[in-house]
Amino acid sequence: MLNIKNLHAKITDGREILKGINLDVKPGEVHAIMGPNGSGKSTLASVLAGRPGYEVTEGSVTFDGKDLLPLAADERAREGIFLAFQYPVEIPGVNNMYFLRAALNAVRRHRGQPDLDAGQFLKAVRAKLKELEINDDLLQRGVNVGFSGGEKKRNEIFQMAMLEPKLGLLDETDSGLDIDALRLVSNGINKLRSPSRAMVLITHYQRLLDYIEPDHIHVLSGGKIVMSGDKTLAAELEKRGYAMLDETAA
Amino acid sequence: MTSPDDSLDTIHALTGEGYKYGFVTDIESDSLPPGLDESTVRFISAKKQEPEWLLEWRLQAFRHWLTMENPDWAKLKVAPIDYQASSYYSAPKEGPKSLDEVDPELLKTYEKLGIPLGERAALAGIAVDAVFDSVSVATTFKSKLNEMGIIFCSFGEAVREHPELVRKYLGSVVPQGDNFFSALNSAVFSDGSFAYIPPGIRCPMELSTYFRINAAKSGQFERTLLICDKGSYVSYLEGCTAPMRDENQLHAAVVELIALEDAEIKYSTVQNWYPGDAQGKGGIYNFVTKRGACRGDRAKISWTQVETGSAITWKYPSCLLEGDGSVGAFYSVAITNNMQQADTGTKMIHLGKNTTSTIISKGISAGRGQNTYRGLVRMQPKAQNARNFTQCDSLLIGDRCGAHTVPYIEVRNPSARCEHEATTSKISDDQMFYCQQRGLSKEDALSLIVNGFCKEVLKELPMEFAVEAQKLLAVSLEGSVG
Amino acid sequence: MTAKPETAPYRAAFTAHPADALADQRKSAFARFETLGFPTRREEAWRFTNLRPLQQAYLPGTATASKPDIAAYAFDGESYRLVFVNGRFAPDLSHTGALPKGVRLDNTAKLLPGHQDLAQSLLDDTDTAGGQGFAALNAALFADGYVLVLEDGVTLDHPVEIVHWGDAPDQSFHLRNLIKLGTGSRATILETYIGEGRYWTNAVTLVDVAAAASLRHVKLQDEATTAIHFGQVRGTLDRAARYDGFVLTLGSELSRHDSFIRYAGENAECGLFGAYLLRGAQEATNMTVVDHATPHCTTHEVFKGVVDERAHGVFLGKITVREDAQKTNANQLNKNLLLSARATVDTKPELEIFADDVKCSHGATVGDLDEDAMFYLEARGISPDEARRMLIEAFAADAIDRLEGEPALRAHLAAHVQRWLNVARVPS
Repeated sequence: MLNIKNLHAKITDGREILKGINLDVKPGEVHAIMGPNGSGKSTLASVLAGRPGYEVTEGSVTFDGKDLLPLAADERAREGIFLAFQYPVEIPGVNNMYFLRAALNAVRRHRGQPDLDAGQFLKAVRAKLKELEINDDLLQRGVNVGFSGGEKKRNEIFQMAMLEPKLGLLDETDSGLDIDALRLVSNGINKLRSPSRAMVLITHYQRLLDYIEPDHIHVLSGGKIVMSGDKTLAAELEKRGYAMLDETAA
Repeated sequence: MTSPDDSLDTIHALTGEGYKYGFVTDIESDSLPPGLDESTVRFISAKKQEPEWLLEWRLQAFRHWLTMENPDWAKLKVAPIDYQASSYYSAPKEGPKSLDEVDPELLKTYEKLGIPLGERAALAGIAVDAVFDSVSVATTFKSKLNEMGIIFCSFGEAVREHPELVRKYLGSVVPQGDNFFSALNSAVFSDGSFAYIPPGIRCPMELSTYFRINAAKSGQFERTLLICDKGSYVSYLEGCTAPMRDENQLHAAVVELIALEDAEIKYSTVQNWYPGDAQGKGGIYNFVTKRGACRGDRAKISWTQVETGSAITWKYPSCLLEGDGSVGAFYSVAITNNMQQADTGTKMIHLGKNTTSTIISKGISAGRGQNTYRGLVRMQPKAQNARNFTQCDSLLIGDRCGAHTVPYIEVRNPSARCEHEATTSKISDDQMFYCQQRGLSKEDALSLIVNGFCKEVLKELPMEFAVEAQKLLAVSLEGSVG
Repeated sequence: MTAKPETAPYRAAFTAHPADALADQRKSAFARFETLGFPTRREEAWRFTNLRPLQQAYLPGTATASKPDIAAYAFDGESYRLVFVNGRFAPDLSHTGALPKGVRLDNTAKLLPGHQDLAQSLLDDTDTAGGQGFAALNAALFADGYVLVLEDGVTLDHPVEIVHWGDAPDQSFHLRNLIKLGTGSRATILETYIGEGRYWTNAVTLVDVAAAASLRHVKLQDEATTAIHFGQVRGTLDRAARYDGFVLTLGSELSRHDSFIRYAGENAECGLFGAYLLRGAQEATNMTVVDHATPHCTTHEVFKGVVDERAHGVFLGKITVREDAQKTNANQLNKNLLLSARATVDTKPELEIFADDVKCSHGATVGDLDEDAMFYLEARGISPDEARRMLIEAFAADAIDRLEGEPALRAHLAAHVQRWLNVARVPS
């Protein structure tokens, strides 16, 4: 589904952050990308979602066989790539519901599905809200405005549930969550696992992986994947810390 | 050395002190009689044995000045100034060549002022180009700075020893006819300071100048020119105290800063001139033009000022951000108590790409003082991705003072971003009560709160200045809470 | 005193103006205009205004009224409507129905002859001796306008809707309006200015809000983009009075809306809000001058600007808190979106404070659309054009939503913002 080959990318000030990433993600798989701060984890998510301010200098990314890199951020989203933001953006004045419906209908049109009318939309919303224990008064506010940290993260997962992407990129979704919120968010994510949907979890800590069991774990360091393995790798990292990377290198 | 944290003790020690620096040094002056015409300009130039080009430059400024009018746009009430009533030159009779030769009267004066000279200067790590009246009388640490290629001398000496540098940069940031007072200064400036930091050199000590206005009826027209060549750094301190006088005295200085590629200039001022008495009698008129140009890419200029003195302050230290990625900053505390008036602020002119500027202004008004922040942030069409952040806060103490905020924001580039925030409020009764309940006197509580209000600016000052500034805040606000 | 040259073309128009009950004041006002002339950029309030479009003289005339179609601008709800065409009342387009008791709603021209007392309150010292040339010219030349007077305690159930249409080429329309609200009364006014071609609308509105009365004063300015529009509001608020002003600026080549509000009693409150959406070579200035002369009053100002193409947006705000106006609460906010490389914004939010027990703040920002918000929307599949539109709409709505009550009025304004957004953008 997602094929990344020798991906190099730099940020606007010229620093190269990604230095040759190779990654294959198949439908139904959950991959976890771990690594120390500054290893390029969030950059990878940003580059895949098409965030401005990054330049791909080498390599290729295909998504369902289609070249992803020339596509604009909204086109990638409509192709089925969903980025759950590490820091969801507050947009005062743009109503959450209005925003979500605009996004959902944009995605549906792209898939050749008809727009949802207000009634159908509301029904779909209510069902998903309940699962994530989101208070519906949040929906009447501006996008992410006045949300607590945990509410913002739950709202991201709620949006993912509504938009039903093929690939979910979850950037540090566990950061800033207490244990109850983490369980709630993880349950939400687990419910969205399906044979046709892949997920890439980006995380610094192993604790998210206690709740969401990945099929593959990769360790990113210095802009490259330096180690890959199954879920046992996470436990080892937890025990020995990222310092083990240096030991391995030496 | 006192740390800023000891402020309460020092403030306590200072309360009830009044204006500390009110004494007159008895020295014979070689002064011009009052009056101003072309012959005055020629006299000053001749007295200083200046080259022909500089005389011409002065005369050009003088002729331009004659066509100009006193600016009236500031929120200031200024009694008409009779420019013919001032004397435009006074100098100590003998030019001393070393510290030993300096008049002991003078040294005593500096001692009272707490200016570190000689050994004390060495301990404090400060080179002092002390300006007494209008002529530089002592320069220390010259040899040490010389070794590094740093030039730090009086303006007059710079004209003699480094004419090429002076000629190249004089008036390049503040043109003669820039404004009424800069034109006047350009015509009759007496002396001042000059510094040049060669490429790649980090000046190892704070350069410092103290100004004093002393001889009766003498105006003071200082000229400072500071050049930081590529990749160099300097921190420059300017401090002022003046003896008590009944007549208003005019001061119109010009300061020009030039920072070339990757150079950085920090310019700090504590201005503590005589503010006049509680009825508004006397005090200095301070009309200053200060401007710095970031001529090269990534150059930095920051102005920090603590303005507690003068009857009238008219001053807008500014930055021309010409080089790409250059940075300008303005940190200011201005206090007006009794009948003092201040109209001060800055101009940040963004010309280059990715230029950034920060403005933090804290105005404190007490008594019948009037305090105006006047600032301009201009993003020119080529200032791609330029950024400005401005915060100006005003604090009012008592119900007969005024705090005014006049910001101009002019944006001609869509990728530029400007943010301006301002608040005005009175000193909080709750905060005062809380402090008093913990045993502080009203004055101490006020000092504490005011110092807290100004913290963002004070922390930009070099340590010894920060201490002095904190003392000054307390002294300046005496009698403002009953 | 010699007359300024630019005033010369207007002398004949003044001489030709029929004498009425205000003849003496008009004479002083015209003399004042001749002395002052047009403001120059040396005057602080006009330093950002380019008066070049006024180099040609726009004289008042007697063009035959056209029959404009104003349907697209009509308020979608019940209203008492007065329509003016080229500066004159158009009775056949107006409908006021049965006005509640205690309400007088008339056009100025009709009222002038018989009502000496009201006529006198149409002018004041500002016109005859003040510093505003265009207000003086208006005082000398005005032919019509509207007058709304509410007796004590009257609440007007529907908005008063004033529509002005201009299309007489090269003419100027000087409108003089008077709003007088008795103690405890309440009213809402929606003024709409529209038209076609080159003309100059110069309107002055005097507002007097008595104790505990409340006025909601909304203006939709969508004049022809070749027209000039000057609007001046001079308001006085008595004890516990409330004035909410909103100006939506979409039209005109050159426009100004200047509000002068003075508090004359304690506990009064004033909201001055507005949004300006500009493109092409439009220039628009919103100026507010609020005089806190009495204690315990509150002022809120929010102006949002969207400036595209080669347009120029200006905000000049000034709040003065006088010596005894303790417990004043005032804030000023001006935010601007600068959308094109050739667009410019000048903003000057000014505070002048002479009392200590006050809470005053102001803020101003200028910048492009927030990149993070754009990316967030795009990352959810929304196209850049749509994302941009959503953000601009929300940006303007922030000002519109400050207008309390009357949801239909807010919807009306929002609809016109959308209409503006629907016009295809000329890429820069």
